[in-house]
Amino acid sequence: MGHKNKKSTSCNPAFFRRLSRRGFLTVGAIAGTGLTLPDLFRLESARADLKDYPNFEGTAKSIIHIYLPGGMAHQESFDPKPYAPIEYRGEMRQVKTKIPGKLFGETLAKTAQVADKLTIINSMSHGEAAHERGTHNMYTGYRPSPALKYPSIGTIISQQFGPRNNLPPYVCIPNQPNEFAGTGYLSSSFAPFSLGSDPANSGFKVRDLNMYAGIDESRFATRRSALEAVNDHFKKLEKSDKLSAMDTFYERAYSLISSPQAREAFDLNKEDAKLRDAYGRNTAGARMLMARRLVEAGVRLVNLTYGGWDMHSRIVAGFKSQMPAFDQAFSQLVKDLDQRGLLDSTLIMVSSEFGRTPKMNKDAGRDHWPKVFSVVLAGGGVKRGYVYGASDATATEPERDPVGCQDLFATVYHTMGINSDKEIMAPGDRPIEIVNGGKVIKDVLA
Amino acid sequence: MRSTIIRPVFFNTLASLAVLCAVSAQAADRTIVKLGVYPPSVKLKTAKDRQSMVVQAIYADGVTEDVTSQTAFTLEGPASVRIDGRTLYPLADGKTELKCSYGGKEVKIPVDVVEAKAARPVSFKLDVMPIFMRAGCNTGSCHGSARGKDGFNLSLFGFDPDGDHYRITREQLGRRINLAVPEASLMVEKAVGAVPHTGGKCFDIDSEYSKDLIEWIANSCPKDPADIPTCDALNIYPKQAVLDGAGATQQMTVVAHYTDGSERDVTHLALFQSSNDNSATIDKLSGLVTAGKRGEAFIMARFASHTVGSQFIVLPKGLVFEPTKEKPVNYVDELVLSKLKKLRMNPSPVCSDEVFVRRIYIDMIGMVPTREQYEKFIADKSPDKRAKLIDELLQRKEFTELWVSKWAEWLMMRSNNRVSYKAIVLYYNWLADQIGSNVPLDKMVIKLLTANGGTFSEPATNYYELETNNLKVAENVAQTFMGMRIQCAQCHNHPFDRWTQDDYYSFAAFFAQIGRKQAEDYRERIIYNRGSGEVRHVVTGKNAVPVFLGGRQPDVKGKDRRVVMANWLASPENPYFAQNFVNRIWQHYFGIGIIDPVDDIRVSNPPTNPELLKELAKRFTESGYDFRKLIREICNSHTYQRSTKRNKSNETDETNFAHQSIRRIKAESLLDIISQVTHTKDKFRGLPLGSRAVQISDGATSNYFLTTFGRATRETVCSCEVKMEPSLSQALHLLNGETVNGKIKSGGVIQEYAKKKASPDEVITDLYIVCLSRKPVEEELAKLRPMFSDPKNYTKACEDVFWALLNSREFLFNH
Repeated sequence: MGHKNKKSTSCNPAFFRRLSRRGFLTVGAIAGTGLTLPDLFRLESARADLKDYPNFEGTAKSIIHIYLPGGMAHQESFDPKPYAPIEYRGEMRQVKTKIPGKLFGETLAKTAQVADKLTIINSMSHGEAAHERGTHNMYTGYRPSPALKYPSIGTIISQQFGPRNNLPPYVCIPNQPNEFAGTGYLSSSFAPFSLGSDPANSGFKVRDLNMYAGIDESRFATRRSALEAVNDHFKKLEKSDKLSAMDTFYERAYSLISSPQAREAFDLNKEDAKLRDAYGRNTAGARMLMARRLVEAGVRLVNLTYGGWDMHSRIVAGFKSQMPAFDQAFSQLVKDLDQRGLLDSTLIMVSSEFGRTPKMNKDAGRDHWPKVFSVVLAGGGVKRGYVYGASDATATEPERDPVGCQDLFATVYHTMGINSDKEIMAPGDRPIEIVNGGKVIKDVLA
Repeated sequence: MRSTIIRPVFFNTLASLAVLCAVSAQAADRTIVKLGVYPPSVKLKTAKDRQSMVVQAIYADGVTEDVTSQTAFTLEGPASVRIDGRTLYPLADGKTELKCSYGGKEVKIPVDVVEAKAARPVSFKLDVMPIFMRAGCNTGSCHGSARGKDGFNLSLFGFDPDGDHYRITREQLGRRINLAVPEASLMVEKAVGAVPHTGGKCFDIDSEYSKDLIEWIANSCPKDPADIPTCDALNIYPKQAVLDGAGATQQMTVVAHYTDGSERDVTHLALFQSSNDNSATIDKLSGLVTAGKRGEAFIMARFASHTVGSQFIVLPKGLVFEPTKEKPVNYVDELVLSKLKKLRMNPSPVCSDEVFVRRIYIDMIGMVPTREQYEKFIADKSPDKRAKLIDELLQRKEFTELWVSKWAEWLMMRSNNRVSYKAIVLYYNWLADQIGSNVPLDKMVIKLLTANGGTFSEPATNYYELETNNLKVAENVAQTFMGMRIQCAQCHNHPFDRWTQDDYYSFAAFFAQIGRKQAEDYRERIIYNRGSGEVRHVVTGKNAVPVFLGGRQPDVKGKDRRVVMANWLASPENPYFAQNFVNRIWQHYFGIGIIDPVDDIRVSNPPTNPELLKELAKRFTESGYDFRKLIREICNSHTYQRSTKRNKSNETDETNFAHQSIRRIKAESLLDIISQVTHTKDKFRGLPLGSRAVQISDGATSNYFLTTFGRATRETVCSCEVKMEPSLSQALHLLNGETVNGKIKSGGVIQEYAKKKASPDEVITDLYIVCLSRKPVEEELAKLRPMFSDPKNYTKACEDVFWALLNSREFLFNH
């Protein structure tokens, strides 16, 4: 369960001490001066108390987050149990991988051949067996709270680093996949940019990226200065966070529109036809190729989803129809990034909200199971050809080195150069850690 | 703990403290006007009982002070209690009076002692269960988690005491308790930290909690008799406080009232929480509140299944303030100004006619005024021209359409594979007819919720077809018509509100007998009263008896339960009905509710101005739920008509309506306005060309613009369906997209200018008035005029100015 590794806060006296220390410092700072404080000082005192430190040089410069919605079975993919009884291991066969002794499900034959470039975590574990709660965990690193909406990892990366090469820092292919991939308590200026349509569609174009027919750059510049003239007057009268959030997006839009390199990043036609075939001309292939183009051009976190993995029935048929395209595209993505020398600076994370029940059900499927499941990492400074943790003989519970959501996120943030206990100001001057607890899994780092 | 922080509902973005000192000085008046003594009466029963007192001085300037420790307590009458500090202990049976004197004021309160010498054995439900909650044992992150923690499971916040008793005494072969050596029970040793415990040490071995726990085990862990009283009300004192400066403190006291008429001081057992730690923190052990930064906080205490709150305002020490002399227009202004006065804030002035005319058109009918309408209003010299315009707009058909569209969101009007497009259109038309003919809200809701018949012939029945899970129906009714989210209580007692599982299933029982069957047309379904069917309580396994949510248990025998429920729901007996709707209406005109979000009314999310909400609801009820009348009163107030510009004193205000707020225009209205000013027509599925987006009956109908600008999908009843956040896609679409660029080209507005040979100044002025309801200032004319320097580029220049206006913040926002 997500909170397994941290001390439970509500009965933990240390927690109260910590809170009161903060309260004391803030209040003390004001009382000590005997002044009524101007705004600036108030902020400074709040910040002084904030665990805020600069990011360090991370091994990863960008992240490709491949999310398999629905809860992908770990038994049929990255954690098969060939020696378990049939009702546990299921009907599918296994393939050997480039990691000695490690097997994958048979539909991952191509990925097995690049396993020497991957880190497989087989002991992922949390306690949320409902889709939306599990998804929340795997997008934010937090358990869902009724009181506070947490930002997604993409939003945090966006907030911490901002845009690069005029490209939006956080892009979703094709759309923001769920509400937890959003900005939570942070400003909507850190929201993902969605392509709006599937790159696998023929004639795919990112909507409104190019200037309107008949508008050239000089005319666009004229229009922009006219717009500034109109906005100037209003700006003098009105101030509001809502207005500045809108301004931010206009600024981003301008830089995107005015940079040909940035716009080209979204154009799959710029890719070699052979490479497109190698990725596969289908949803998985097009999305992963697009992801590679985008990180290559400067996007910091690309989120893409593929397929539907909620296989309560006929799991074999489900895997056989969906996994081959993933297998081809994912193995190609790993190879392609490696050949371009980008793998070491790009962290790929393949995750899902949870795994599936150890035993097959009456419909030849498996149900929700968050107690143990698998996550795959590659590149960005994690080990090549490594298996971390293990589930028990029937893939029911972690057998060793359980990994909570906090640990996983702490590790991912670490590769990007972020100390995840760093605090961000939530509404009400409330400092919230990027990840609440959790340890960087040193063993997976190269 | 972090994860249970209540969403900040008060103004939290506190900015400058110093600026407020600029307001001209007025000496604080510190004469005591009232001495508040709490609780207002004391009842002690058995030797185990006690009561801690709190005395609060209320000064003429509104500031309060905790003067308990300076107060002299004396008994007037028989010495039936012993006074130790601020706590009363029973000595002998009888009635007496407690005299409390401070600063020349005197208050006497009655004290009643019974069974003074009788011992009260520790009870599982009255003493042990509250300890689990107080010490945090049964929270979701500890043993209250659905799977328990480290092998030990308690019901979340104690919703299942019998189950907890079983798990403590019977599970694990009873090793959690040691009857022979009670203090060596695992449960005790874990709690006091004598053995390793993931949750750490929860209390001391010599604490009252530990002693009670040990006594209960020593008595062989008795179960309580079936008729043990239960807590039926909880009070926290004082109810309000205005603290002067950081560091000021106020002690709280919490009293539980039981079904047998007894009372008990539960300050040591209540779970405390502050909604805003920044302004007021509460010591979780003692219940002492300490003031922090300027702002508001709601101090909450939870005990048994009750949560109660107290409103705190924290002012900077010695703040001087000159209240406004402005005369309130009506009760809305009076109540808003009275709250602002407490906060030492002054409201912004009333806005100009130009700002008003645009704001009221957008808010009332989802359109901007035409040039003629704008000029007529500006030229009108009569003093009541705003009131006249409000009356006029209230009669427009677009006003009705705007509210029908909102209702369609609340009622989830969206076709799906069960409810056909035809059914939705009929349902929508039924709704439009109700609102258009000003059917009082209570009548309309009763008709809706009691409808029987085919989904085509009686379209209101679609309410029960759009959601066929009867538990969900109950949840939706609570959320839409009472503004309450009771979902949590399906599985456990609501963590932040009063709702228990009993409340949930008892309310759901009203919807247990809805019948649904196929009609002749395969697209039509029939809704009827089956007259049988029950809802089973998930813990007790028994059939739930219908009880109104937060109300009484009615007689439903032989009646359609929905009729019984609806007649209560939409009546003055249910205070939440009126409150919910006035709050939703208020939110439309201010961008934020008095309770916000509007469908999350709960103890821990209190109204920012309870008096205002209550008065609005009262008048709304008295008017026979006439929502046009309510809107008229709101819009005629200065509060609605204030400028969005803030002054020094209200700079930090976000929730108390000291100024109007800047609001992005809703997706549907924004598209309609763009089409209106460009003279273009839109086509939506099933509607004639030229229909407005606000007229869309089926939520499944949308287009790129509407989706990108956050139109409600109508898939849930949640107010969060409508999204107002900006995005990169919105900016790109307005800059490069078909909506703005295409409509400017195809609309013919510019051809009209060319035909008339309008001068650049005329074009610019006309576009400004049409889009922004104001004339351009000279500076703007000077900047835009040169775009027309080359006569060959006349059309392009017109287009570019138009484009700039449609992209401007001033256009996209209502202000």
